[in-house]
Formats: sequence, C-alpha cells, structure tokens
Amino acid sequence: MFGWHGKLLRVDLTSGASQVEEIDPQIAKDYLGGRGWAIRYLYDEIDPRVDALAPENKLIFATGPLTGTPAPTGNRYMVVTKSPLTGALSNSNSGGVFPTVMKRTGFDMFIFEGKAEKPVYLWINEDQIELRPAEHLWGKDVPETTAILLAETDPKAKVACIGPAGERLVKVAAIMNDEHRAAGRSGVGAVMGSKNLKAVVVNGNRQPILAYPEQMKALSLSIQREVGGDIMTQGSSLREYGTAYVPQVTNEMGILPTRNFKSGVFEGVDQIDGPTLSEKYLIRAKPCYKCPIACGRDTRVDEPGYEGKGEGPEYETIGAIGSACGVDNLAAITKANYLCNELGMDTISAGTTIACAMELFADGLIPESDIGTPLNFGDADAMIEMIRKMAYRDGFGDLLAEGSYRLADHYGHPQYSMTAKKLEMPGYDPRGAQGMGLLYATSNIGASHMAGDIAYSEVFGVPSRLDPLTIEEKPRLVMRFEDAFTVIDAAGLCVFLSVRYMFGPDVNLWPERLTQVMNYATGAEYTEDTLLEAGERIFNLERMFLIKAGFTQADDTLPERMLMEPMPEGPAQGKVVELAQMLPEFYQLRGWDETGVPTKEKLVALGLEV
Amino acid sequence: MIINLKLLALYRKYLPAETQGSACQIEIGQGSVVRHVLESYSIPVDESSVILINGHAATPEDILAEGDVLCAFPSMAGG
Ligand code: SF4
Repeated sequence: MFGWHGKLLRVDLTSGASQVEEIDPQIAKDYLGGRGWAIRYLYDEIDPRVDALAPENKLIFATGPLTGTPAPTGNRYMVVTKSPLTGALSNSNSGGVFPTVMKRTGFDMFIFEGKAEKPVYLWINEDQIELRPAEHLWGKDVPETTAILLAETDPKAKVACIGPAGERLVKVAAIMNDEHRAAGRSGVGAVMGSKNLKAVVVNGNRQPILAYPEQMKALSLSIQREVGGDIMTQGSSLREYGTAYVPQVTNEMGILPTRNFKSGVFEGVDQIDGPTLSEKYLIRAKPCYKCPIACGRDTRVDEPGYEGKGEGPEYETIGAIGSACGVDNLAAITKANYLCNELGMDTISAGTTIACAMELFADGLIPESDIGTPLNFGDADAMIEMIRKMAYRDGFGDLLAEGSYRLADHYGHPQYSMTAKKLEMPGYDPRGAQGMGLLYATSNIGASHMAGDIAYSEVFGVPSRLDPLTIEEKPRLVMRFEDAFTVIDAAGLCVFLSVRYMFGPDVNLWPERLTQVMNYATGAEYTEDTLLEAGERIFNLERMFLIKAGFTQADDTLPERMLMEPMPEGPAQGKVVELAQMLPEFYQLRGWDETGVPTKEKLVALGLEV
Repeated sequence: MIINLKLLALYRKYLPAETQGSACQIEIGQGSVVRHVLESYSIPVDESSVILINGHAATPEDILAEGDVLCAFPSMAGG
C-alpha cells in the first residue's frame, strides 16, 4: 500500500499480548484512514451499548494516509472510542509531533483492548513492542510523566499520556501528547485511565511510501509557498496572535460565551484577547510538525499566584475558562490552561462545567457548604481551585469531574448544562450562528466545533462569508462541512490550513487539492465526489453507532436556553436557534428518515452493510 | 458625523497611531459608504476582509449612520 502502511497493532492489555494485523485494502480505501478506519473497527468490534469505562470498550489511536507525509499539516491523529461523558462516540484530534512519529513506527493505527491489571505503558520502537510497568508514573502529572518516559526510553521518542485526571476517570480527561497538545474532548483520557494505560511512547523511522512522491513534494511545496506568500503579504493573524485573537471577533458579533452562555457579549473582552496575550505572555509562536502557520503559543506568566510556563491559551480555552466563567484575568486563564494541560483535562468542558456550577451557585441552587467556598462568576482564584479539585476529584471536584450535565442534573436543574449530547458547547453561542447550532445538535460526538466548523464561514469569512443569523442553506452546508471535516480528520490534516488551502474558494468546500494530495499519497484514484462520499460514509457509520447505542432524534437537540431564551443583548439580540426549522431538512438531505435514522437505501448506496 | 472604527486582529495596524486598543472614533461625511471609509485606512475591501456594522454582516456599499460601529478584520480560519 501507499500512503498507508496497511498495518495496525492490536494490544490486549488484559493478557499483555500484542499482534500485528494487515488492513484490508478495500476498507483502507473506502474509509480513508484515521477517524474513518477507527469507526469501522470500533463499530465491528464493540457493542455500542457497552459501559465506556468497562474493559469491553476499545481505545483506538489512528493516523491518516497524509500523516507523516510532506502534505502541509499532515501531522495529526485521532483518538476514537466510546465516550464516558456522552455515551456517544469520541473522536478527538491532536497534532504536535507525536502523530508523525507514531506513523513512523510502521503502524497506521493502534487498538487497545481489555484492561491491564496494573498500570502499564506501551513502548514501541518499530519492531520492539513492549508493555512496561508504569506504577512509578501513576499519580504523576503530564510534564513529569513525559520527562521520565523520555529518560527511560529514548530522548527522540514522543509521548502521549494521561495525567491524574485520566487516572481518576474524570469524564472530561484528555490524552496529552508532546506535553501540551490534547486529544481533548469527551473524556478519552478517562477511557485510557480505565484501562490502566498511562502512556504510549513511540519512536521509529519507517516513512510511509507514497504513490507519487515527486508530485506530492511539488504540490506540498507550492502550498507551503502560497501560505508563506500570504503571510508575507497579508500577514497571518493565527501566527501573530494564535486563535486568541478570536474573542474580539465573536464578541463583536455577540456570540462570545459569557457567564454560562447567558449572554454573548463580555465587558472584559479587551483584557483577554490575542494582542494582550502577545504583549504580556508570549514567548514564541509554536508550530505542530512542519506547519507553516504556527498557531501554537509558547507562553510564560510571572504574575504572583499565577506563575507558570507552557502552551496556550487558545481561543476555546479563553472562551470557556475566561468569559464563560466571567473571568477577565488573562494571567489566571493562562494558569488554568497550564493546569488543565498538566493534569490532563479538556479546557472547554472543564471551563464550561465550572461556569455551570457558578450559575447554579448564583441562583442559590448549590449551597456554599457543598462547594466549601463561594463560587461567583468572575472569581478567577475560585475557578483555578475548581480546576484542581476537578482533576483530583477532591471534595466538590468529584461532582465537577462528571461534567456539567451530571452536575446540573444532580441539583435537579439539567437545563443549566450548556451541552449537546452531554458535551459542553465550544466558543460560539449558536443563537448568533445558526449553522453552528445545527452542527452542535447533529455532530456524532455532541457539541463540537471541530465536527464541521461552519463558523469558518459564519464568523471568519473562509472560504466565503455567510450571514450567521439566517438559516437559509444552512442544513445543506452544515452537512457538507460535516462530511468535509470528516475527510480532513480521516486524512490526517489540520482543519486550519485545509479549509483555506485544500478546498475550492467557495462555501461548498469542493476538495480540489485535498483529492490531489490524497491520490499522490495513496494512488487510490479518488475523485472529489468519491472523497466526499467517503466522508459521508464515515459520518453515517458513526451515526449508526449512536443509533445502536440508543440515541434518538430527541438527542439531536440543544440546551433549552438556546432554543427558548432569546439572546438578551448585542447583535444577536432576540435570537434563538431555529433548530426545529433546520433539522427536518437536514435529515432529508442526509437521506435519513424523519426520526433521524439513515434509511436502508442510503446505507446501501454508501456500501454500509450494518 | 462620528462613527466608531474597530479594526481587529492584524488590521489593528491600520488604526491611527495614537489609538489605545482596537477601536477609535472617527469623523466622516454624511452619507459615507463603508468602502470609502475602509479604503481611506488602506483596508482591502474584498473577500479577504470581513466587514460588520454594529456586529451585523455589512456590504461595501452600505451607508453609515452617526454612532455606527464599523468593524473589519481579515478573513481567516479561526478557533
Ligand atoms: S495550524 Fe496550528 S494546530 Fe494546525 S497544524 Fe499548524 S500549528 Fe498545529
């Protein structure tokens, strides 16, 4: 095979045995790689109703055919499993360097099954495959774990691991790679913890063989040059400010999550935006492997009480930990970000869960005695304290660790949880970005922007601008964005670069160059149509996983606040998400019946025998 | 008449030198259109910019009114 190695490593943690398996070339082609291969295997191998933290659940790390190739931003992997937070699917994406080196082990994918009796880590250096004891690492945070593992394996190796949060089965725990990068969402770190798998350490030199290496090199170079040229002539806000420039933009449109999404306008926005971050804390812009954009932030904070060094914050963190908690102290937000990275938690769900607790507290629905301290919106130090407690399940943190839905439900008011399918909403209040509302309601992992980020068009004008407040065309476009983002995830690329440079210039996301690079890597003769169809195939198989797990149309919804409480102020004032108007059309376009189940004809047309 | 000009992300550099933060008040003629104002601050008025008036989608030909917030930033992938 080209692009893919065509090999997976299956590790049975219960017995400690591992085996190498070939991947069927037809599956390889039809499911692209990464997120696509992983759902095909997960769907075939586990009962979707299984307890996500039971040994019967499987944890899959999957790279794509473009991971580890010269294709710009071909540096990503996906973690796919059943989510303990949502009961739906998890497919969390991460970059950095780990995914590239994972591919160089000679395997495209790792499948972890069962549960180790005692903590272990996997050390894989091409043919050397060892499960090693990790009791000495249990309890250690991410930086310390990473440093010890590099010392006892190879300094050139790369590490993905969990922190104390994953060990304690915190339902918003992340898997951290390269110390600061996270496969963050929907509790993948808890699944790893439930298997007693502390870390995965990779090393190797097995480059994937490409079908058309010369063409790949030439096209990649020309894209790199184009990106470089644009940065020279127009500059790059992403490089200059990271994604931290976004709060001003979303605030201007009235969709910056503020005080648990009560409002979309935050009075403290000037204190928490990108220019402030660059001015006060930025050391340097930091790229994932060979990325010309470099949106990562190497930062340092010296302010007393918040001292630390690390990466971040990015926009989503500022929205969730900052404005959603009413916190306008950027030093505190950055410190909380460091803590989440060190302890191994998703910043979006952690921040938004604390925001939920703050609103419940403000409305007198959580007694102070339960928390042990007042928890007011805007209290930066209390927010930081809650992050620590959550990661260690200490006191009230034990409830926070369950995510906002279970927290609010515990106090009898689930409507305070700003989630779809129990996953906390990211940084775009959908009342002022209607397409995002439909996306949150229909994504297979719950409220995720990465599942088909139509905010690119509704907010950022890429590839072209759509009015965020209207619903016309949104069902069709959300479907297209979902399918296109599925392809990007499966291929192993980063969406930031891809949406702008791998697709045609209009909002229909026609995958022109993406098809070329996929063919140069794999030789599989995709067309734009067959590539998007593969995205649709993967998306529908994921949907079938949810259906079998017991999800129904009733789960394709949003918090009551988004549907019934008009936005109180700002440019989106008076708006609610017009979900009921969009959803039937979306189902119809998808070829699903009126209850949201893919029709037999649709499944047959996609070659899905489920 | 007076409007507020708000330039975000990399467009901050087009703000008058003495500006604190990302917005300032400017004086424009009655009936001025968006294109005119932005071009006078060297801001590209094409697909590479996102333009808002009072937070809402705007076109280059829209006519500005007293007290409007005219906002622009480069179109780009986000968070
Ligand atoms: S754009 Fe940012 S997240 Fe994406 S590959 Fe580059 S540095 Fe990594």
